[in-house]
Amino acid sequence: MTAVAEVLPLPRRRTPRSFDSLIALAGRRFALTARTPRELIVPLLTPVLFALVIAPALKTALHTSASYESYVAIGTVGLLVPLNTFFLGLGVIVDRDSGAQRELLAAPIPRALLVFGNLVVALAITGLQVGALFGFAVARRIHFHPAGAGVLWFLAAAVLLTVAMYGAAETLASRVPRQEEYISRVPAIAIAPWFLAGSLFPITAMPEGLTWVARFLPLTHALALMRYGLLDDSSGLHNIWEMDNVTASAALSLGVVALFAVVFTRVAVRVFTRSAMS
Amino acid sequence: MIEVESLTKVYPGGVQAVREIDFTVEPGEVFALLGPNGAGKSTTIGMLTTTVEPTSGRARLAGYDVATEPLAARGVSSVVFQESVVDRSLTGRRNLELHARLWGTRSARIDEHAGVLGIADLLDRPVETYSGGQRRRLEIARALVSEPRVLFLDEPTVGLDPLIRYELLDVLAGLRDRGDLTLLLTTHYLDEAERLCDRVAIMHLGEIVALDTPAGLRAELGDELVELRVDGSGDDALATLQERGMAGTDAFVVGSTLTLPVSANGVDAPAEIRKLDLPVASLTTRRPTLDDVYLRLTGGRLAEAA
Repeated sequence: MTAVAEVLPLPRRRTPRSFDSLIALAGRRFALTARTPRELIVPLLTPVLFALVIAPALKTALHTSASYESYVAIGTVGLLVPLNTFFLGLGVIVDRDSGAQRELLAAPIPRALLVFGNLVVALAITGLQVGALFGFAVARRIHFHPAGAGVLWFLAAAVLLTVAMYGAAETLASRVPRQEEYISRVPAIAIAPWFLAGSLFPITAMPEGLTWVARFLPLTHALALMRYGLLDDSSGLHNIWEMDNVTASAALSLGVVALFAVVFTRVAVRVFTRSAMS
Repeated sequence: MIEVESLTKVYPGGVQAVREIDFTVEPGEVFALLGPNGAGKSTTIGMLTTTVEPTSGRARLAGYDVATEPLAARGVSSVVFQESVVDRSLTGRRNLELHARLWGTRSARIDEHAGVLGIADLLDRPVETYSGGQRRRLEIARALVSEPRVLFLDEPTVGLDPLIRYELLDVLAGLRDRGDLTLLLTTHYLDEAERLCDRVAIMHLGEIVALDTPAGLRAELGDELVELRVDGSGDDALATLQERGMAGTDAFVVGSTLTLPVSANGVDAPAEIRKLDLPVASLTTRRPTLDDVYLRLTGGRLAEAA
């Protein structure tokens, strides 16, 4: 009898709980994502550049008021969230091609947990980056004036937008075979809507057809909610709904972003679990 | 421990990867699926580990149906994959801890498992610094951390250098000696199957064409074989021998080498063959090996695959 036979005893196990498994999966994903500071910092660069350099430059060049800097600072959240979630989506392809995805698929856990574990990390890292962005903005003396439930509107919009965008990222990652194809599609999905969603100017400044397109983007609703929450500026909501009742408009926009979050997450889980099975 | 009934997999496009295979593996048994590339071995393991959806048929692990109780079936099993399937930027310990948590087992014995497999000193290093053999040992240790009742090993030694391969065979022999673990492995290497396995199923074109102990499979070819190598076509030489009634349907050809089981009728087969007008390059007799069984059943495709 060999050493292996002498040392290892009979099986003993307990049923893994979903919450434990989710924490374990999220911990793994965080460790893989954050193993180099570069992967946390790179998605921040462009939004910080917009908030701290381009917005003040535009304000000066266009002779706009100081509130434009605040307007753009919040608009850059609409760039940060998609960029960050789509960067994180790359991890799904790396996992599949050269990581431990097959091992995780063989685990006695619902496979949807793999998607939710990634989502938890997407939320945590996006939260850190949005916090850093606002830290830089405040240090640059860009002013926000959240009041009462305003912060909650902002947080709800940011969280639901992150969930929706991560769902889109995970779906794309599960459907495309190679990293190159994934990266080539990111600008169209994650960046192009930012220019239409009222990030740098109100959606009504665009031709009417594009204004209507913008009303169907979750990013437009999320940015209007964030500005309502942190700047007490309800013009974005009014441009979407053309209603006088601001609270009702905000609730409707939150519902739209929530709907996108639920649908994109369900699609992501479905596509992932199907792509995992031959 | 493993029960497979009429298991079939047809991939989109109509490719029949596995065709109504049946087999049972007893608790503590070491069972090999042997076959060339495309025989259906990995698809079979995929169905048993619930990563490939069966088209029809049933499979149960420790009584759990892989189609209707996949979580329970995965809970009693572990897999060592053909390719390296680890998080290379994480440490070996982190990889093992993750497996323990997902399978709901204690991680306190990780060092013990790693020690048995000779990688205890490496555990706190990133896996990307491991050699191929160390990585494969880590994957086996990881599979054992959850103390599975069934361990699947898909081509566990493929691509490894001979020294590491033999070291791993020792490890697998140790697992076999435990007696409480049911092992199902796929392999191209016949010596592995012969050395490790209680029973072997030979797969060819999605079907099981033979299933027995290694000794039982060898016995089908009798006690002795004649191996004839000719200058030119082995098929032509076989046709000549069949015309003369000196070769039956159990003879087989790989390239220019012809192998014939010797019937126990007292005829000196080599002497009779030398009397024929064949371009003989060499003529020997030897005892049958599992390779001969395999080559006869799969038409020499292993040689093509290797």
